[in-house]
This record gives sequence, structure tokens and C-alpha cells, in this order.
Amino acid sequence: MWSFCRENRVALTAELRLEFRMRTQIVKLLILLAFVTFLIYPIAYVFPSALSERGEPYEVILMNAGPRAEELSQLFYQVSLEKLPATVAQNLELDDALSVLQAVRDRGGTARLEGKLRPTFFYVRQVFANPYLWECFAASLTVAVATTLLTTLVTLPLAVWLTRFRIRGQGVLSVLLLVPLILPPFVGAIGFKQLFSRFGTLNLWLMDAGILDGPVDWLGASGLWGLVLVEVLNLYPIMYLNVAAALANVDPSLEDAARNLGGSEWTLFRRVTFPLVLPGYFAGAAIVFVWAFTDLGTPIVLGYRRVVAYQIFEKLSEAESNPLGYGLVLVTLLLTAGLYSIARFTVGRTQYAMVSKGGVGTTARAASPLRNTMVLCYGGLLTVLAILPHIAVIMTSVAEKWSFTPLPTAYTTDYFVLAVTHKLAGMSIRNSVAYSLISTSLDIVLGVTIAYLVSRRPSWLSSLLDGLAMLPLALPGLVLAFGYLTCFYRPAEWLNGLGLDWLAANLQPQKSPMLLLVIAYAMRRLPYMSRAALAGLQQTAPVFEEAAQNLGASQGRILRKIVLPLIAANIVAGSILTFSFAVLEVSDSIMLAQRENFFPITKAIYVLLARPDDGPYIACAMGVLGMAMLAAALLVATAVLGKKMGELFRA
Amino acid sequence: MTAIRIEQLTKRYDRSTVVDNVSLRIEDGELFFLLGPSGCGKTTLLRTIAGFLTPDNGNIYFDDRLMTQVAPKDRGTGMVFQNYALWPHMTVTQNIAFGLEVRGVPRRERERLIAEAVALVRLTGLEKSRPAQLSGGQQQRVALARALVIRPNLLLLDEPLSNLDARLRTEMREEIRRVHEETKVTTIYVTHDQKEALSLASRMAVMHRGRVVQVGPPRELYQRPRSEFVANFLGETNLIEGRLIQANRDRVSVETQLGMLEGITTTDGLKLESRVQCCVRPECIALESAARSGPNRLRARVEREVFLGEVRHVYLRCGEKLLTSYQLQSTMAASPVGGEMDCVFTAENVVVLPRE
Repeated sequence: MWSFCRENRVALTAELRLEFRMRTQIVKLLILLAFVTFLIYPIAYVFPSALSERGEPYEVILMNAGPRAEELSQLFYQVSLEKLPATVAQNLELDDALSVLQAVRDRGGTARLEGKLRPTFFYVRQVFANPYLWECFAASLTVAVATTLLTTLVTLPLAVWLTRFRIRGQGVLSVLLLVPLILPPFVGAIGFKQLFSRFGTLNLWLMDAGILDGPVDWLGASGLWGLVLVEVLNLYPIMYLNVAAALANVDPSLEDAARNLGGSEWTLFRRVTFPLVLPGYFAGAAIVFVWAFTDLGTPIVLGYRRVVAYQIFEKLSEAESNPLGYGLVLVTLLLTAGLYSIARFTVGRTQYAMVSKGGVGTTARAASPLRNTMVLCYGGLLTVLAILPHIAVIMTSVAEKWSFTPLPTAYTTDYFVLAVTHKLAGMSIRNSVAYSLISTSLDIVLGVTIAYLVSRRPSWLSSLLDGLAMLPLALPGLVLAFGYLTCFYRPAEWLNGLGLDWLAANLQPQKSPMLLLVIAYAMRRLPYMSRAALAGLQQTAPVFEEAAQNLGASQGRILRKIVLPLIAANIVAGSILTFSFAVLEVSDSIMLAQRENFFPITKAIYVLLARPDDGPYIACAMGVLGMAMLAAALLVATAVLGKKMGELFRA
Repeated sequence: MTAIRIEQLTKRYDRSTVVDNVSLRIEDGELFFLLGPSGCGKTTLLRTIAGFLTPDNGNIYFDDRLMTQVAPKDRGTGMVFQNYALWPHMTVTQNIAFGLEVRGVPRRERERLIAEAVALVRLTGLEKSRPAQLSGGQQQRVALARALVIRPNLLLLDEPLSNLDARLRTEMREEIRRVHEETKVTTIYVTHDQKEALSLASRMAVMHRGRVVQVGPPRELYQRPRSEFVANFLGETNLIEGRLIQANRDRVSVETQLGMLEGITTTDGLKLESRVQCCVRPECIALESAARSGPNRLRARVEREVFLGEVRHVYLRCGEKLLTSYQLQSTMAASPVGGEMDCVFTAENVVVLPRE
């Protein structure tokens, strides 16, 4: 991620007067402040919270004096009760503290206990020591490892075949392979359940055909394999993109040299190609692993409670009193960070190895008809499997009733109408669109500014900002959501004390999640936007701005009339993608949106799925709408960005 | 219209000194050239004058106004960049209008000035085109118009013709000369192409490794170079080593391995018995078949002849040295390969320079 920026930076050679340099510095510092508040602080908050607990000695904090305030001030004569909340008793053992609490309550006031903060590894250790938590952790690890291995097995041969052979129809196949990228994984899980649950399509077909006597619990009995399968079908395009790109970068002459010296194809692959491809593969593997480990949507839909993501979700409500949630989040964070560091380290180290870039066309050999058919069938089958759950969702959305039958018995478009008119569904659509519009606007401003600073005003501060802007790519939504929910609780209380109730309310998702949702969306999509803008700026020579400077234009005019129009296409493409991904975002939406009025689409789907009668059908209709929107957005963005599309999904 | 004074300008990048203590004076209305090979610092110097770079040392004055710290947008210069830098999303008119809009010129006036500028560079009719629809030469003219329409104090041209093919280059050269004559703007022109410099400059400075080596009108630099570098850089020359044995007033005598040479000096302080280089331009060497003795007369054998249309390059071997002589095709005298000829030249055409 870093190397991308450093290599391609183009420095504007203008040296500016001190006054203007100061303006740029102020902008940089403001952006840094935003990052620190909404990215660093929430993540950092996890550390002390996971590594400490509150215990003896306790202090009693009086929150509200109530109607009999004089009695209380007599009781606590040493303390002035003018400004509340205030500490009225300290250094107490638990029993004594509870008595004081009771005494306050008896006199009509309200108070709370606060233990002293003590450092401890207990909660982190619990992740590994507690049998239930360890089971969850091991399960998540297993899913992640299995997903990574399977996606490798599935995509590696395909990538090798498509880059080393001229396959008829490979253009179409390449596009088909990327189709799952358009399909929101959350929605797919719903379809998957429909197909593979105990009375889902597969079981019913098999029973009808007489092959099975009773339903087989494909999802449950096979343990985690249902989860793994869904993840693999969602994530293989990302692995494919990374591996294919890495293969394409291998200098063909390196392979030809091996052939010339008499190696077999397998030896060639094992000793020349694969080692060279390893860094790129590792980058893709890291993304797949982390995504599989931290995915919240799929386990929720499929009902897999015993994974880390679900546990974190459940522990949310007791975060204040029970640091176990923090412990889980900390372990996840360390695991993720560790993996990405290793991946970047290996990529960085071996980047110099390629002396001359490969031209893939030069060594693509003709494929035999057998191999040709094999490859096409394989790729086709894979795509069909990936699409199947989504087709099931589409069918559910138009089915009048579909339960206990392999296929729907009747069809209707009512649910699409309901999706828009139904109170919860309609409101959630409006909410999602509103939140995503705001967060996309934020991303445009931030992303373009950071990209401009990195490419035209390089300095250590600009590089830092750029790194921070890329950080959310490595950050699981789960971690950020958890951070947001918990880290603003105290500052909100403090703001309350200052009388800024309206501001405090916005920082507490229990009262008003809108602000934090918008910021979460903005933070997590920022990398896409800033990358799109950066790519545009790198293609635009600084000389255009110099020409404007020479003619007397101020910086503002230059930005408005020269720079922005020239990178408009990139900005548009980036915003479309950012908007679409924000609308269909899962982890942050489910965790942060805690009041029904504020539900975005994904949370509404989650809630509707659990409701009886037509809940699931409406949910599917909403899912289909989401899919259609994402597909349209990607098509437009591809048309604008062209071949660069794939780069947005790579490390 | 402005006179430029550059005093002891120095610019360093990392550890190398790109512009080294350069002092120049450019008169109002001159077409002044900065000529030199790649990497000699001429573009850096130009960009410092434009304001895109701040010098580490020294000062720049426009008409006695100190300009060293002034931002590019406030210097009142008009610059034509090497690749023109025409904004691709704007039409010709919009490109040219930009500088006027920035200066708040009202619309009527703006339209008049733009029309004038377009007519000046002979692009009338193409106002609504975008840069991508124009040829290289046309883009060049738009860039020129854009820089001139704001009535700059100073016109800066950064290798403006290097992206054009040979024929177009000659044509545009004349255009630039014509525009300069009509507008009389002080112009600084940077190039590595000596033909451009020799044909257009009123005065030129040859730069080498960050330093100005010689300044003067083209003819003076060509015929009276003051260093081996300038002699070699401008046109072709024959360099013959020798020892200075006599000097009276403006004539000197040099003893060389090939024979006795008499020539003129362009630098002061050449000591007797010092090692010197004699520069004789090939076009100054006449070939005579009759063998005679005397100074500035060398007997040589014709090794090779290259026919180039209007001129013949004749390569003659004299002792260890290979001499070049340019003969106009119309010269009747034949110079057969293998034959012996006398290379004859006058003292006026032998420039004696210190050995570098």
C-alpha cells in the first residue's frame, strides 16, 4: 500500500511563499485531527479497555440529587453537591460501596459505582482460556484458513490457465469470474440458507426424487463447511484478481529460461513461477483471510453463533461492565494487523525482483480443445455456483410463498412495492441513501484533498495522512464499529456536563447513531476514493498547474478550473463505487444502528429476516434492489475507469 | 517591456550545483538565448526566473525591482512550456482567455484581445477547437498566444520547438521571429539546438555545467569563441594543439606538430611557451593542389569525402591529425581520395585558445 504511493508521487516543483505554506499545513493538521479522533482514538481505545478492569476499591458517584437534596448534602457534608455528577465516597470495598449506594437511593437520589482501573491480561487470556470463547476463536480461525486454502485451490489453476494459454472465450470468462464482486455477500447468505437449510431446495429435491428419506442438515452437521463455502464463493474473485495480476507481472523470459534448460511444466511452476508469484498471492490471501475471519453478516444469517464476529456482536451491549468484548476485539485487531504487516513485508522485499515486466501475450500458448473446454466448464461452473444463492434471493423476492417446496409455488411483485412502502423497509432505504450521500460527499472532500497533498505537496505529513487514509482497508468493520460504540461514551458524558447535550447525543449510538454511522461509512470507504483521486492526479502532469500559476491564477482558481475538471472522471467513478458500497455495508450498520428510525438497509434486512410472515420476502426484495444498484454502479464505474477497476480490490 | 538583471544566481539540488553563480544582463526587447547541452542548468535558470524555483543565492531584478522572492503568479511573465501545457478540457479560446480572466479584464475587452492574439499567431478559425484536435505546430501557436495575450513584461520559452519535426521547426522558428518583431517583448529562449540560437538570437549565453561560459551576439560566439567548449559546441571545428612561441599585438604564432600556424586570440593572458589549441572551422579551409610552404598551410592526404548535397565534407589526414574541410559543391577544385592537397586558411580564421 505504501509503495504504491511513494513510487508514483509527482512533486510540483513550485516553492511557495511562507504564507501559503502555512495554509497547506493548517489543512493537513485539520485532516490529521479528524483521523486521530475518528480512526486512531477508537482503535486505540480498545487496548486499555481490553487490558484493564474495574474493581476494588470503589467510589460512589452521585448523578442526581433528587427532591431531598438537603438530606443528601447532610449525609455527604464533606462534599459540595453544587456540580453533579460528583464523587461522594471513595476507597470503599464492594459491600460498603453498595451500602452507600443504597443510602443514596433511600434518600431519593441516583448514583453509580465506579471501580478502580487495574491493568490485567485476564480478558485477553480468556479468549484462549475460556473453553467457549476458545471454541469460537478456533472456529473463526478454521473458517479463515479453510477459506483461504480453498480459494487458492479454486483460483490458482484458473489464473494460471487464463494467463498462460490462449483460451477461446477468455474475455467473457474473465468478466464472469468477477461477477461475485457485484453480489453483496450478506444477501447471498440469505439465498444460501434458502437452498441448503433443512427444508430448503436441495433437501426437498433430493427427498422428492427419493434419494433421501429425511432432510440432511447440510449447514449444521457439516460443521462450519456451510460458512466456509459461502465465504469461498464470495471471496474467490478477490484472490483471483491478485493472483492473476501477480502472474501477469512475471517476466516470461524467466520461465522460458527454465524451459530452455529442460524443466517440466510442473517443475517450472513449482520452482520458478510460484515463488515469483508468492508476494502477490500473499497479499490476496491476507485480504481473504481477514475478511473470512471478521465477516459478521454471513454468520448472522446462517445462524453460526460460535464465531468471534458473532461473539463480539453479542458482547456489545455489556461492553461497559464486561471487558470480554474488548478482549475479543483486541485479539482480532492484533491478528489482522499482524497478517497485513507480514503480507506487506513480503511484498515490499521482493518487489525489485522483476527486472523486466512480462508481456503476457508473448508466451500465451494455444490451448488444446480439451483443455479449452475444461477451463470454460470449470470457470462456468464456479460462476454458476456463486450466482446460485443470489438467484435464490431473486426468486424469493418475487415468490408469493416459498416454504417447504423446492421452488416457489406462485409469483408476485408485491414485495418490491412493499420494500418501498413498508414502514421499516421504506424508511431504511431513505436512511441508507441519505447516510451514503453524506458519507460519500465527505469522502470526496477528504479523498481529493489527501490525494492532492500526497501528489503535489509531498512531505512526511502528507505521507502520514496517506497511510492513515489507507488504514481502513486493513481494518475489519467489526473493530471500528466496536470502537465507535464504546470510545465516545465518556466524552459524551463530559459534553453533557458542559451542557452540550445535543452534541453528546449524537455521539451515543443508543440515542442517535446517525453521526457515527456516517463517519464509519466515510472512514471505511475513504481508501477507494483517495486512490481513485490519486490515480487521476498522477496521470495529470503538474505542468498544467504551473502554466496557470504563470498566468497569475491563485491556488483556489487552479484547483477549481484546472485540477478538478481534469480528474473529474476518476472522482465520479470513485464516488459511485463509494456510494454503492456504503449503502450495502454490513458490520458497521448492524452494530451501530441501534434505534429503529435510524436503520439502514442492511440492518432492516437483518431485522426483517427474523420476522414471521412476509418479513423474509421483503428482505429479499430489498436485497435484490441493492444488487441491482450495485451492479449498475459498477458498470458505470468500469466504463469510466476502464482496466483500473481491478486495482481497487487488490492490496 | 523590461530589462532583466541576474546577479550571482546559484541553485543547488541535493549535493550538485545546477546553476553556479550566474550573472547576466538582458536588455529590454532582446531575443536572448540560453544555449547548452542537456543538464547544463538552462531550464533550471529559466524556471528560477519564472518563479517556480527559489535560488539558494543571488538575486533577480526586473527593471531594478527585486523579484527573487515574488510568487510566479505575480511576476508578470508569460511562459511557453516544452510540451505546451494546453489544458485539454478547454478550447483554444478558453485557454487563451484564462490569463485575462484572472486579471479581471471585462468580457468585451477580453474578446478583442483574444481575437488579436489569435490573429497574431495566425490561428483564426480554430478558436473553438480543443488541443487534441490541433497539430503540434498549432498547439505551439496557442501556447504562444496564451502567453502573449496578457502583455507580459517577459516572455519565457522553454525549448518550444523540440517536440516538432524538422520542417515544422523551421517554419515555427520564423513565426517566433515575426511575433517577436511585432511585439518587441523581452524574450528569454532556452534551447539545446544551436541552429535556433544562431539564427534567432540577438544575444546568446552558452551554458555548461551550471555556468555561463560566454555571452554575446551569435556571430561573435561563432567566430570568436573564448573556450574550447564554445568552439566545439557551436558548429564543427578542427582543434590543433601547439605551443605559443610569439605574440605581437593581436597576432600570435603557434608551433604545432603539423606546422606553423598564425592566428588571433580572443582571451587575454596567454603566456609564451604555454600550451594552446588552434581552432580552425572546416568551412574556412580552402584546398589547393599546388604544394607551397608558409604559415597556415598544411599538406594533407585526402582520406574520405562525404557528399551532402550542397556541401562536401572532405576528411584529410595530416600527420596524426584528421582534418575536416567543408567544400561547397560549386567549388571547381577536385579533391580526389588519396591525393595530396594543401589546406590553406587565413590568420583571421585561426582562433588560439588556452588548453583546457
